[in-house]
Parts: sequence; C-alpha cells; structure tokens
Amino acid sequence: MRPAGGTPSFHNPESLPIAVVERILNRVRKPGRYAGGEWNSVQKDWSATALKWLFAYPDLYEIGMSNLGLRILYEVLNDRRDRLAERCFAPDVDFESALRSAGVPLWSIETRRPLREFDVIGLSLGFELVCSNVLTMLDLGGVGLTTAERLESDPLVIAGGSIVLNPEPYADFLDAVVLGEGEDVVLEISDTLESIGWNLRLPAEAGAAGAAGEWHRGVTRAAALRALAAIPGVYVPSFYRPRYLAGGRFDGLDRLEDAAPETITGRIASDFETTVHGIRQLVPNLAIVFDRAQIEVMRGCTRGCRFCQAGMQSRPLRERAPDVAIAAAEAILKATGYEEIGLTSLSTADYTYVREVATELHRRRPGTVLSLPSTRVDAFTVDLVDAIAPGGKRGGFTFAPEAGSQRLRDTINKGVSDEEIATTAQLAFDRGWSSVKLYFMIGLPGETMEDVLAIAAISRRVLAMGQRRHGGRAQVKANISTFVPKVMTPFQWDGQDTTLEIDAKVTALRNAMHAKGLTMSWHDATSSILEAALGRGDRRLGPVILRAWQKGARLDAWDEHFDYSRWLVAFAEEGLEPAWYAQRDIPIEEPLPWSHLGAGVSPAFLLRDRKRAQAAMATADCHWGPCGNCGVPAATGFACETGEQGPRILLTKIGDDGLGWQYVGPPGDPRRLGGVVTAAVGANVKAPAGESRGWPYDLLGSEMQAKDAGLKGLASLVDAAGGETTA
Amino acid sequence: MSEIRQRWRLVFARGEDARYLSHLDAVHSWERAFRRGEIPVATSEGFNPRPKLVFAAPLQLGVLAEHELADVYLSEKLTAPDLRERLMVGLPRGYTVVDLYDVWVNAPAIAPQLAAADYRMTLLNVEQSRLDGAVARLLAADELTRERRKEAKTIRYDLRPLIFELRARAADPDAVPPGAVPAEVAGLWMRLRHSQSGGSGRAEEVVAALAEDLGLSATISIGDGEDSESTGPTSPATESAGRPPIEIVRPTRERLWLAEELGTSLSGGRAG
Repeated sequence: MRPAGGTPSFHNPESLPIAVVERILNRVRKPGRYAGGEWNSVQKDWSATALKWLFAYPDLYEIGMSNLGLRILYEVLNDRRDRLAERCFAPDVDFESALRSAGVPLWSIETRRPLREFDVIGLSLGFELVCSNVLTMLDLGGVGLTTAERLESDPLVIAGGSIVLNPEPYADFLDAVVLGEGEDVVLEISDTLESIGWNLRLPAEAGAAGAAGEWHRGVTRAAALRALAAIPGVYVPSFYRPRYLAGGRFDGLDRLEDAAPETITGRIASDFETTVHGIRQLVPNLAIVFDRAQIEVMRGCTRGCRFCQAGMQSRPLRERAPDVAIAAAEAILKATGYEEIGLTSLSTADYTYVREVATELHRRRPGTVLSLPSTRVDAFTVDLVDAIAPGGKRGGFTFAPEAGSQRLRDTINKGVSDEEIATTAQLAFDRGWSSVKLYFMIGLPGETMEDVLAIAAISRRVLAMGQRRHGGRAQVKANISTFVPKVMTPFQWDGQDTTLEIDAKVTALRNAMHAKGLTMSWHDATSSILEAALGRGDRRLGPVILRAWQKGARLDAWDEHFDYSRWLVAFAEEGLEPAWYAQRDIPIEEPLPWSHLGAGVSPAFLLRDRKRAQAAMATADCHWGPCGNCGVPAATGFACETGEQGPRILLTKIGDDGLGWQYVGPPGDPRRLGGVVTAAVGANVKAPAGESRGWPYDLLGSEMQAKDAGLKGLASLVDAAGGETTA
Repeated sequence: MSEIRQRWRLVFARGEDARYLSHLDAVHSWERAFRRGEIPVATSEGFNPRPKLVFAAPLQLGVLAEHELADVYLSEKLTAPDLRERLMVGLPRGYTVVDLYDVWVNAPAIAPQLAAADYRMTLLNVEQSRLDGAVARLLAADELTRERRKEAKTIRYDLRPLIFELRARAADPDAVPPGAVPAEVAGLWMRLRHSQSGGSGRAEEVVAALAEDLGLSATISIGDGEDSESTGPTSPATESAGRPPIEIVRPTRERLWLAEELGTSLSGGRAG
C-alpha cells in the first residue's frame, strides 16, 4: 500500500493570486460564475491528495451547475480522501477575452489552478453544440487541443455524457471516452491511473528525448491509455483508425492495438437502487437554470419513444425504493438549504412510488416545494402535479404530444391518442390552469403536410376547451422544434428534412395556427442541422470543429452566439457538407461510424423497431406490457423486471388519513384516471384483512399483481369508499 | 405570518469567497443558510411568505465588507450562543458573524437609522502624490456636480455634501497585483453619507470625480461588469491620452454607521 500523504511530487503548482484574479473578475459580467466559494464546494489540500480531477463542463455556469451528474460525480470523487475533484465551466466571451488580454490561464474554481495542472480532465458532453467550448477551455487552460499535440505532462482528457454514444466527431480531442453511467467507473479510472503512476510528477531528465517542459509523469501517455482501454466501458479513440470508401462513405474501423476491444458497452451503476450519491449538492452563489435540489428517483425509461436517445440508451429501468428516495431527499434538502427539490428522471410520472414519495416529503418537511418534469400526456400527470403543488401557482401546464396526428404518434411510438390529449388538457383547465404549453416536433420520419397541419388542429381543439373553461384568458402555446435523428435509436438511419422542406412546413403551420390565444414558437432550424450532422458524424468532423472554433465559434448552443455561416465555411474547407451527414437516409447495410459502441439496446432491436415504425405499429412499454427483447439484459448483465403479467396495483398509504388502493397500471388505461385516483387521494379505504402491515415502508412496496380478481377487488374497495371506478 | 418573538441584530463581514454575490443572491444565500442552521426565522405575510431578514444596506457585487448590519426576526427565542452556533453551521464560506445582539422587537427599522458608510480601496494607475492633490481640490470645492443615470433619465446631483471625509494614503501591499508599478498604486479611504432621507454617496462616483480632476478615465464600476464601461473625463482631457484608466481593487465597505453611533459630528465634517 502506498503511504498516506499524497503524491511525492516534483511539480506543485500554486494557486493564482487573488490580486490577479480580481482584476479579471472586475471586468466581466457575472463574476460569481468564476469565483467559487459555493456551499458544499470542496477545497482539498493539493499536495496531500494523490490524484487530481478537473470536471470541465463545456457550457456556462448556469447550465453546468444545474447538471445532476456533475453534482453526483463531484461528491463520489471528493468523498475519497486521496482523490480531488474541482470544477471549471465554459467562459463567457467577455471572460475569455479578459483572460487572453491579461495572459492568464483559465483556472479551476476551487483552488484557482490552471487546467493543465490536473491529472485528468473529465468533460461532460451533453449536447453536440458544446464542442467548440471544449476547445476554448482546453486552449485557455494550457492543454494541447488534440491528443496528438498533448505533452507528456498534460492531463488526460476523458469525456462522458449522452453525446459520447457517438464520440467520433470529437475523437481528435479526447484521450478516452467513458460510455454509460459514471459513478463506478470514475473510481476505477482513478485507481488504475494511480496504480501505474500517472499522478507522479518527476523532474525531466536532462537531455531526455521528447521531454517537453520541466517535468514528466511516472508513466507515458501511451501506457496510461492502454491501461484505461482495459477498463470496461472505456473507449480510447486513438487505438482505432477509420477507413472510408472513395465515395466518402465510412467503411469500418481498424484496431491499432491489441489492448483495444472490438466493441465497448456502456456502464451501469452497480448500486443505483440502494445508494444515493450526490447528497451534499453544490449550491451556487448566483441564480442558475435549475436552482433547486434534485433527487433522481428513477433511471432508465421503457416507454420506447423512437426519437428519444436517452430513453433508448439508459435501460434497464431502475426505481429507487420509496424509503431510499425519501431519506435521500430529506438529507439533500438539509445539506443544501434549498426549499425546492425536483424529483427527476426521464419520466417521473412513471415512477411507481411518485405519489407516496411526494406525500411523505410534504408530511415530513412542510413548506417544501416539489417539482417534476411533467411532459407525459395523461390525466394522472395533471392530477399528480395538482396534488404536489396544492394551491400553487397555476402558470402554464406543459406536456409533449410530440406529433399532431395519431398516425405519426404511432410511428414515433408516443402512445397517446387525440382523446387522451383532450382529456389531459381538459383536466388541466378544470384544475385551474388557464395556459397549456404543447411541445411538438416537425420533420419526423414519414411526416406529411397533413401530419403537420394536425398540430394546428389539436392545438385549436385544446384552445377551444380552454376558452370554454376560462374564456379569453385561455392560452395555448405550441412549441415547435425540428426533429434531429439520434444515433442508437430506431431513427438513426433516417435523414433530417431539408431546410426548404422545414421552411414550407413551418410556413404552412404558422398560417394554420393563426388564432387569438394561440401562439407558436419556433426555433431556427440551422442549429438542428449542425446538431444532426455532428450527432451522426465521423472522425472527418474533427478538423471541421477545429476550423469553426478558429473562425470564432463560441457558445454555439446560445442563439446570440451561434453563427451557422462559420460552420458552413469550416465544412466546405474540409470538402464536406453538413447536409450529407444530417439529411441523408443511411442505407441499413452501410457500416455506421459508431457501431463498435453501444449502451445495451441491440442493433437488431433498433432495426426491428424501425420496421414497426414504418408500419405505424406501436411497441409496448415493457414496464407494463410484454418484453420487447431489446437486448439490454444480455449486453449488460442487468436483469430487468417487465410487467408481462399485466397491470399492477399498489397498496399504499395516502396522507395521514389511512390506506388506499392506488392503481398504477399503464398510462392511458382509463382505470388510472379520475375515480380511482381521486378515491385513492381522498378516500379512507381500509386495507383488506391480512394486508395491514406496518407503516411506513414495508407497506409501500407491497405490490400485487392485479389479475382480474385484484382489479375487481380494487373496484369494490373504491365503491365502498364512495368513489367512482372509471372516468 | 408567524409570530415574532425575538429580533437580533447581526454584525457581519463578507470576505473573498462571498464577494461576488449580488444583493438578491445574498438574500437567497442567507435564506438557505437559515434553513441549514434550522434557525426559526419568522416569515412575512403574503401569498409567498419570505423569511424576515432585513439587510440595513444592500452590498454591491464585488465589494468586501467588515461591519455590515442585518436584523433577523425569530419565531422562537434563541440564546446568543445558540444563534451564533446555528449561523456558523449554515452560513456559506466568506461570511462571518462579527457580533450579534438582541434588539427590542418594536424598535425602529434599521435602514432609516443609517447615517454613513466608510470605504477603503486600492487604486491602480495613479500615484499617491497626484491623488493627494485631487483629494485636496475635491474637498475644497463647494459643489461637485455629477450625473447619474437612472433608467433612461440622467439625474444631476451634488456629490460634495455626500462626502464626509476623504483621504489618500499608501496602498495595501496585499492588493497590489504582481507586475504593477508600486509608485502608481495608491490607497483611498472615505466616509460617505448613507441616508435614506439625505441621500447616499457612491464610492465609485468619488473615484470617478478624482479621476476627472486628474484628466484620467476610470473603470468606475466595482465588481459588477454589467456597467463597467470606462467613463472618459467629461471635462476637456489634457492628460488621459495613452494613460491607462484608474482601476479599483479590493473595494471594502469598512463599516456602516447608525446615526446614534456617530452623533452629530458629521453634519459639516471636512477632514483634511
């Protein structure tokens, strides 16, 4: 065992002096973004800590600090005595220019050390358009931009996050890529690097060949990369070389190292259901986008919306037991001082225990504000949001039908009918919301003008319902975005509409949407083209990204900074076109640049599901319906529980009044609406004999497979309480 | 509204770690600190009840402080050591409680009692000898007309009566950035009127007036880059060409003064 007390180190960089830092901060907007001092931030003794990570989040502070992944991994590493993790966010343009004119490097927030002084830079890549920010940060931090340029003393640059499912466009800049969930693998990477001596800082031997700078590490970069490649879920791009055909098509990858595996599958955290990381969550000193505590109640999603990369690639579905979620939420609220906590997941209304967690949190900490991402279209969601914020503000109720026509919603597997949309909107209006916000996409595979105009029809129908309830106060806001085909979804082969097609659809839709009380917001499509091009891109895009950055591309995710012309020129100078990457239908027999990587769902399933899409056939949500054989258990070794035996009901305690049966069957099942739920909330229903186990928690999990008899039992219980059984 | 059982006056300091909070950020930060420390703060009336915490004077983003004042109203009584302990649990890095004392619940509100505020700072790109001259001229003037922008309007006002005391002095060595020419760094200390009824002087306006006297420009804003445009001299400049603007570093509000603490000595005070 290595003795405690950190790294024997030749090179111990000092923090930048306050007197230097303050002159820069005095010149910039929102200096608090770069100053640190936040509650729950951790400042460790640099020289006493063995391995030093810097989490570089390539977007502005307000976005990065809202990211739950950062809050989690920051704690996972800093909880280890011999590990240290600091933070850095993308500089706004004024801060960048202040740093450059002063000749000062970009510093870590905690101890104000330049990025180049760390052992590992962990990049969180959550959106294609942040790639230019990565270059800004590396450049300002004194780190070589490309893997080929980096010095032996430079940190390893390792990326994770949702867009690294296809990391090929960024491969030039990344020493390694972590696929999947980070909780376990950041520790494994740390241990591996320490064991081979990556953190040792030794004086450069006089006259040593290739020794650039005054120090080097205990092991070469090449050896460190070989060690990383042996860790499951870690991909080292430089160990592979792509082949292209004369016509420009990608033809496959050659492995250059024996250490490089043929395929790499994303990691799944080993203890999600039982252990909550990220309790002492960072609390910012200035307002951020999601300025609240967060408890992740569920990971994964089984709904199977075919456009949704997160839903397809985060399986298996894992739910936190209510006692785990409640205890963690309480601890997080206490540790942060926040009064608001978000119950987060990809679809929180699908979380089996959402109601009991909400009820119990309100009981234990009155005054706590709960929020949940509510985009699911069903009455349960309205009822839930209503129950979570009783008497709260009735601003806008938001949900996402995604497509206007039934046929197209079937194509994308957004299993919701016109009637359900209407019922949901009606309930929202009845419960006091006067404004409803609807999210739609245009340009979905197989879309016709008829489908586009159906967006206007359903929006007008919802508006009319609102007007009957609220008169002239009723508002419907339709938010329209452009479909972006995402890799590792059933739509990965489908090209995006051309700009002309999109423009025609938007114009037609705008004309059809003209009505008082109805507004349509539309986001310019050019950034979606770039998003699609990068998303489905290959390694030839690395030089394009570099050129665009050199031409001034900064903060491209922000409208006020995004300039598509820079990117067009950068593509053209490399002899490429964004349209070829974004708009082409890729033949299914063609090799894909990302096919050596995966997150569990099998390519065969994606192809099968694509065929069903073309036939406008739904694929069942396997949480409630039969298993769709997506391949996750085989690829990941994680079993999953499907609802093959049919819908389920839960015995649960609602409020302090007693017990109620709560039906948690599949969304869209009418038994989930109105009567049953209302009865469960309001009624004092006794548990049947033999089921009255002790509160609090053994009861919550007492799930019953509700075969016919069970549901009949439910109905009679509700009847006994004076409720109605169906809506 | 919860019942008020106790009112505490907090004297606190703000250091480097909390320096870049705006007033609103600071309010939110303190509210979270009270929840973390489980301090039973009374809440205000209304649809959206807020904890009853009243800062005597908002502190500008970027300004350090050594003796700020705030009143906090509690719904349950606490002893001084208990409250101090709970504040220490919850307050973020950068804030320290210097002192706290029990105030009669129905005593007058704190903000109208303010009379003055002391500031000190280091100025870069100006020699102390030149600054001495400018200070003397400024103090000798009967009137000092300045313009202040308020939304679209420009308001003319007389800065002179808002300055009780003003002194140039040697710079704080800690505040001098590496590479700065030591001869071109000076310290500045001032006591300004800070009064709800009689007006409040702004330290950066005093610096701008001094710079103008010297024919220099000044980066007048303290900390908050939102309006940190350099203001050129409004009078004909003879010297500013080629000279870097005066820059304020480590601006510190040393102390807020209540009228009763200062007595009547302020009214015509002109320190020399």
